[in-house]
Amino acid sequence: MSRAVVLGGGLAGVLAAAVLAGHADEVVLVEGDRYPSGPRPRRGLPQSHHSHVLVAGGARALDALLPGTVDALLANGAHLRGLPGDALIYSADGWFHRLHTDAHLISCTRGLLDQVVRRRALGGGDVEVWEDTRALGLTGDEARITGVSVSRQGAPPETVRADLVVDATGRRSQSPRWLAQIGAGEVEEVSVATGLAYATRLYQAPGDLAAAIPAIMLHPGTAKGQPARGATLFPVEDRRWIVTLTGTRGGEPPTDEQGFTAFARSLRHPIVADLMAEATPLGVVRPYRDTVNRRRFFERARLPAGFAVVGDAAVAVNPVHSHGMSVAALGALRLREELARHGLGPSLFAGLQAALAAEAERSWRMAIEQDGERVTERAGERVTERAGERVTERAGLDGAPRREPNAFELEIRTRLAQAKLSSPRLAADFFGVQTLISGDTATDRSEIARVLTGRPEPLLTGEEAIGQYPVLAAWRRSRFAAATS
Amino acid sequence: MSLRISEAVIWQETGEGVSLYNTETGDFHSLNDTGSRIWRLVASDGEREPVMFKLSREFAGSNSAMSRRIVADVEEFLGAMIEQGLIEEIPAEEPAVKEESLS
Ligand SMILES: Cc1cc2nc3c(=O)[nH]c(=O)nc-3n(C[C@H](O)[C@H](O)[C@H](O)COP(=O)(O)OP(=O)(O)OC[C@H]3O[C@@H](n4cnc5c(N)ncnc54)[C@H](O)[C@@H]3O)c2cc1C
Repeated sequence: MSRAVVLGGGLAGVLAAAVLAGHADEVVLVEGDRYPSGPRPRRGLPQSHHSHVLVAGGARALDALLPGTVDALLANGAHLRGLPGDALIYSADGWFHRLHTDAHLISCTRGLLDQVVRRRALGGGDVEVWEDTRALGLTGDEARITGVSVSRQGAPPETVRADLVVDATGRRSQSPRWLAQIGAGEVEEVSVATGLAYATRLYQAPGDLAAAIPAIMLHPGTAKGQPARGATLFPVEDRRWIVTLTGTRGGEPPTDEQGFTAFARSLRHPIVADLMAEATPLGVVRPYRDTVNRRRFFERARLPAGFAVVGDAAVAVNPVHSHGMSVAALGALRLREELARHGLGPSLFAGLQAALAAEAERSWRMAIEQDGERVTERAGERVTERAGERVTERAGLDGAPRREPNAFELEIRTRLAQAKLSSPRLAADFFGVQTLISGDTATDRSEIARVLTGRPEPLLTGEEAIGQYPVLAAWRRSRFAAATS
Repeated sequence: MSLRISEAVIWQETGEGVSLYNTETGDFHSLNDTGSRIWRLVASDGEREPVMFKLSREFAGSNSAMSRRIVADVEEFLGAMIEQGLIEEIPAEEPAVKEESLS
């Protein structure tokens, strides 16, 4: 009898367990929390109070794993929004035109997403779910994991034998410590601070606007030396909106009623504040601060056979990129491929962790390119400078070391950044990469040459950008009429 | 063989010389004084011979040893540019391409 034990029943754990059910005689899913009876947040998942959108690459992976899941989400009230075709986006470079691409996101509460996925992944009864059960450590030695120590409903620890243990306990995973306890090698860890804080509140949306509203994203501007402050508003199920305000150090969004409202009002554009004023708050403002990018290089460690790590436990990126759930789904898909190739046996373990890590690579690189001024490598107390340095910025042809970008370079960069706001091909490239449906080399070079030699498209004003969405434009008109009558 | 600047290159004269952007690779380059001078001659003359001639007259005068060195240096520079796809060699009858610059 082969047995796989998955630790942690968040998205990564549930999907891994569903995949393993096709390959092990017995699959046990160990979850420290109790699952709520409805689509609600839960204690073990503090981030479930905050916006969670599933980007296109993750939606495709989820449907490949559990066919029909995206339709089930939409049938339960989730919304699909094209990027940037159904999204009002004020980026640092300006407002996006309403361009239609393959990129999109699915928006609903994390509670609904988890519930729909759980039902489909675990509903068949092939996975034994132990709720209210905490994983305490691993058993075995540096060569081979033989099981896991757990406590069920507060009872004394018991050992559960396993041929494969998968750690999916999320950002707070104890795996490096557990491995050290059984004499296995050290796990290298890299973290890149974001300084980013979240504050989120749900709203009951007004009638006409509730479900028709585009996704709204106000990104921070480019002012140097200022905290980066932004906001998103996404429609979710049951005619609600979820509003998340974000700010870096010194500009953290407050969690008191008045402060939350004032913060939204002080952003680069008042649209989110105006919409909040139109809606009815549901519950309190929720903070979240553990947004560090953190990667544990399990694939580089001498891992014992019979052990793997998936999801945030291995690679957790700044949530502002909205990648974590998608990477979890892509990782589960890769686990399925590896199991199909090797079965649940010794040949699986040699390359498994590297294969899983490869699925997170793109997302990790994107996140640290944006956040990474400095990378602290804790394992060797080594400090690597500027993880975000682009490979393209090599030394000049005359061999001189790279200096500050000159005016020409700045102009090209600005032109390119602004061109993606109105060029359907560049926007498709940009959002394809952001939503993990294309690789980060998917740049359309001939379009770049075209936009750089042609006349630049004028930037949209806020009014013009909003005017692209009739439902928002009508609401603004009626609001203005009410204010002046 | 004529020389022309690749259509993939956007370039501009800046205070520090010629700056280039290669739209194929996304790379930026800055040329030093001599490189900038050669680049401008390629842009205006489009032929190897006049470029060599003008540069050796400018820098070597009638010193033939110096002139040989300049020719070798220019060949090396052009070779590097051609290898990187920034400058292209074309059969002489094709017209050289117009300057691509920011509008
Ligand atoms: C504020 C915020 C916003 C985010 N927004 C997005 C978004 O928009 N889009 C997106 O794709 N991703 C988003 N993410 C990322 C996303 O939440 C995670 O990537 C995703 O939940 C990964 O899931 P996981 O299963 O690896 O870990 P988790 O979801 O954290 O699940 C871990 C599970 O393990 C359980 N557990 C922990 N320790 C133990 C133990 N010792 N024993 C037993 N069980 C244990 C926990 O109870 C939990 O159920 C966001 C994250 C944050 C913090």
